[in-house]
Amino acid sequence: MVRTNKDKLIEMAVCGEVWPAALRTPYRPNAQGESVVFMGTAGVILNARVGDRAYGWAADHVEPAVSMRNREDGPEHALHYLACIGNPAVMVSGEAKGARGVVTGEHAHILVDFEPDDLERIAIGDQVQIRALGMGLEMLDYPDISVRKMSPQLFESLRIEEIGDGRIRLPVAAVLPAYMMGSGAELGADYVDQDMMSNDRETLAQLGLDDLRIGDILAIQDHDHTFNRGYREGAVTIGLINHGDSFMTGHGPGVMDLLSCATDKIEFYVDTKNRPNLAAYLGIGNKSLA
Amino acid sequence: MVATNSDRLITMSVQGNIVSPGYPGIPAVPHQIDHEGRPRLLPSLGGIVYNVRLGDSVYGWAGDNIEPGIAIKAPDSAANQALNVFACVGNEAVAMSGNAKGARGVVTGKSGRFAEHVIISFPADALEQMAIGDKIIVRARGVSMTVDNYPGVHLKSLSPQLFETMRIEENDGKLTVPVRAIVPPELMGAGAGLGSESGAICIQSMDRKALEKHGLDTLRLGDIVAMSDYDSAWGHGYRKGGMGIGVVSSTDSIKAGYGPGVTLLMTAPGGEVDPMVVDRMNLADLMGIEWGRA
Repeated sequence: MVRTNKDKLIEMAVCGEVWPAALRTPYRPNAQGESVVFMGTAGVILNARVGDRAYGWAADHVEPAVSMRNREDGPEHALHYLACIGNPAVMVSGEAKGARGVVTGEHAHILVDFEPDDLERIAIGDQVQIRALGMGLEMLDYPDISVRKMSPQLFESLRIEEIGDGRIRLPVAAVLPAYMMGSGAELGADYVDQDMMSNDRETLAQLGLDDLRIGDILAIQDHDHTFNRGYREGAVTIGLINHGDSFMTGHGPGVMDLLSCATDKIEFYVDTKNRPNLAAYLGIGNKSLA
Repeated sequence: MVATNSDRLITMSVQGNIVSPGYPGIPAVPHQIDHEGRPRLLPSLGGIVYNVRLGDSVYGWAGDNIEPGIAIKAPDSAANQALNVFACVGNEAVAMSGNAKGARGVVTGKSGRFAEHVIISFPADALEQMAIGDKIIVRARGVSMTVDNYPGVHLKSLSPQLFETMRIEENDGKLTVPVRAIVPPELMGAGAGLGSESGAICIQSMDRKALEKHGLDTLRLGDIVAMSDYDSAWGHGYRKGGMGIGVVSSTDSIKAGYGPGVTLLMTAPGGEVDPMVVDRMNLADLMGIEWGRA
């Protein structure tokens, strides 16, 4: 078992509400310059959950299940930084009061998975509370590897092996080359995700990246996200697909940072048999992967 | 000479004010974290910059994404959007107020998501006279310029004045464009996925060996560069075979994912632009900007 400081972490409540979709203008250009109506972020999405396909939706940046945020800037950013993947959430108002969910991603909103019966009863504006636990998580014997946005529960389900020489090894669903990383390079690595770029469908298919699922655990080659996100030969970052594909140039499925190392301390292999996906690891979302 | 519709373009004034640099306030931790995790406190975007000029190296300054000369912004956000989209590299700028009133400069680039500035080069004696807040007008001309018979080539932020000096030639259905260097797609950073009608996209500089390998370690402000396997027609993003042309418009950065800022000038998602690497290809030479020559 990889030693961590999980017994020293603070467990703290953060809250927000189920956030409505908003449209500034109905149309935006897609990668071919055609006007497209953009729909996908915010609200309650009943038919796309963790474990479902990242591609093929007639929608943009699909945020699975419930999207929540806080109205106030400070608490909103507390939600962004403190909420970790795998943390438990509970509805504290509305018809679904008492329903329990699990944090699955951080994007324009915090994304929370609930069971279908609960999703049916959740209204926009309903209050959600999260028991945040994971900020400050460290691997005690691997100081060069940064750890982000993970509950101890998710961390322990990643099937990390210690292979000696200060290195670890874990399974991933797919491997991204550095040149596929796009929107989000301008943001800090502790905030939301960086989209992989999906407009070049031929390259995507050649790389075997055209059947990704929401919740997949991936490796990004030659990317160091220890401090912000950038190209560094030999570096490895491990991430999680948090939202669906996009029509826009330079966008695509979002990759949230989980682990990163500036050198070669993280090894990975593609596991096609037991797909490394959040749905299987946490027993949530689309159960076909469990 | 490659033909365009430049005789049909509108020349329109857009205006901004010289912007002050800005830093976050209390609790007084204004540092940026560099790519090795060190907190650094450095001059950054905005202001009047006296000692970094077009033609200077983009590397080695004790600054972060410095905009050479002056940076301007319109106070109203819709007007600033118009300023940032309509102003084109090579357009003439004129000081309309203050001690430098009447001084003439040239638009050299733009800055991206966290600044939305237009960068303008003025002679040193004009900079000496300028004050933060001075009104600067840009005679904007270039948006919607197209190249005859090349519908796959999109021009962005490119003035006809500059286009005509770039020694662009037609070869076998492609436009050959001289450039200082070619940036590979893995080194394109902050700006990917964002709009390409204004703003900038960074050449990532964290991996110095990669910069050297691609001849990007000697870049100067104003250098014209190509961006391979990139499609910037409707935002910036990876596309195999695509080719972009841009001008280096701000200095290096200390942050991962960032580096010298490039303002897009042309993009051909289908590859109808062929870059030709030459020793010298700089905006100062092309536009005859005497005060900017290294």
